[in-house]
Amino acid sequence: MTEVGFAEGRYLYCVVDASGPGAERDGERADREGVDAAREFSPEGIEGGEPYVVGSDGVGAVVQPRGEPFDSDDLRRVKRWLLAHQRVVDAAGQAFGTPLPFRFDTIHEGDDDAVREWLRSERDALRANLDAFAGKWEYRVTLTVDGEFDPDDEELSDLRARIDAAGEGEAFLLEKQYERRLTDLERERDDRLAADLRERLAPLVADVEPVESGGVLDEGPAGNRVTGLALLAQREQESAIGSELDEVVADPDLDVEFTGPWPPYSFAPELGGSG
Amino acid sequence: MSETRPTRSRDGLAETLELVLDKGLVINADVVVSVGDTELLSVELRAALASFETAAEYGLRFPAGTDTDRVAAAADVPPVRDRPEGQTRLSDLEDLRIEDDPDAGVRSEGGDPDDGDEAADQEATDETDPDAEPEGVPEADDQD
Repeated sequence: MTEVGFAEGRYLYCVVDASGPGAERDGERADREGVDAAREFSPEGIEGGEPYVVGSDGVGAVVQPRGEPFDSDDLRRVKRWLLAHQRVVDAAGQAFGTPLPFRFDTIHEGDDDAVREWLRSERDALRANLDAFAGKWEYRVTLTVDGEFDPDDEELSDLRARIDAAGEGEAFLLEKQYERRLTDLERERDDRLAADLRERLAPLVADVEPVESGGVLDEGPAGNRVTGLALLAQREQESAIGSELDEVVADPDLDVEFTGPWPPYSFAPELGGSG
Repeated sequence: MSETRPTRSRDGLAETLELVLDKGLVINADVVVSVGDTELLSVELRAALASFETAAEYGLRFPAGTDTDRVAAAADVPPVRDRPEGQTRLSDLEDLRIEDDPDAGVRSEGGDPDDGDEAADQEATDETDPDAEPEGVPEADDQD
């Protein structure tokens, strides 16, 4: 179904620190040019694959042999693949500390040596990123608001009164105005809430990124979602972040979803290649 | 309800899908292919993934006047975005809903090879238990 792919390739799950320090667990590490990493790292890969670590000079890539991208129209299969990808990255995180996760379906042409060559060519960038992300994880916060938005606004009351007194045609136009005003007010309120949330969390995190609603479809905000944030933070900050969120949801109209720790997907860089 | 701890339970499924599919390290090089620079995973499939898991939580935009919350709450079927061109309809997708089973481990799939064309034709009629697994075939790879 796809014409992309290579005669031989390696599916890339993530880049890990294979040098020892920074890993959160003891165990054998991928040594120079070593392929076998911590013994406890033997997760099941996509479609039953067996991921392993290809190492070069303290930087490792978790790979499995695969020439062409995984592609299917079967939603269930794709979902399973995505979850499998994440499970492997999670296992890598457990074994080696914070990994740099690849986007799903990233495939490098060639064999282990080709991957090693790429690791060598990008070593400085990868090392810098591994060091920068060491001990940090991604957390996601989604703020929602409950209930009907019913602001106390003079302009709205005024419009409402005029609508009630107007004839059909005029009332229709005034309704439009009313809706526009309501939308504007709601957006203002959402912006305020979002700014407040960001301000609260900023001191506790190393980095923060806005998360568009809709993700895959990248749609504008709708429904009762106010804002979403991706946070990059040390694990020790979890409870401090949680306390701040508790203060936010002390307002009975607000609700917050707090997920993590994730590998730093939203903060992962773009890199060049070796070819 | 206290929110002091982050979770990655069921609520995190949508985010897993979003993160793995849309974020993460990207390599710009001739020696690398990636889901981003090809027509991998059709738009409608991505939309379906998104709608299943994120519609209710993240408020995708639906046709004007749709009360997304109410629709999503009804029958536990998240609504599907109104899309141009005759793309996947909700009726096509209902059967595809699977329960995330984080403890089940990855199960390899037998049956269809890695060529989803036929799978597409069976989507709407596939009433079987999504977790009923055929004999595992490690690497269903149809390359020579």
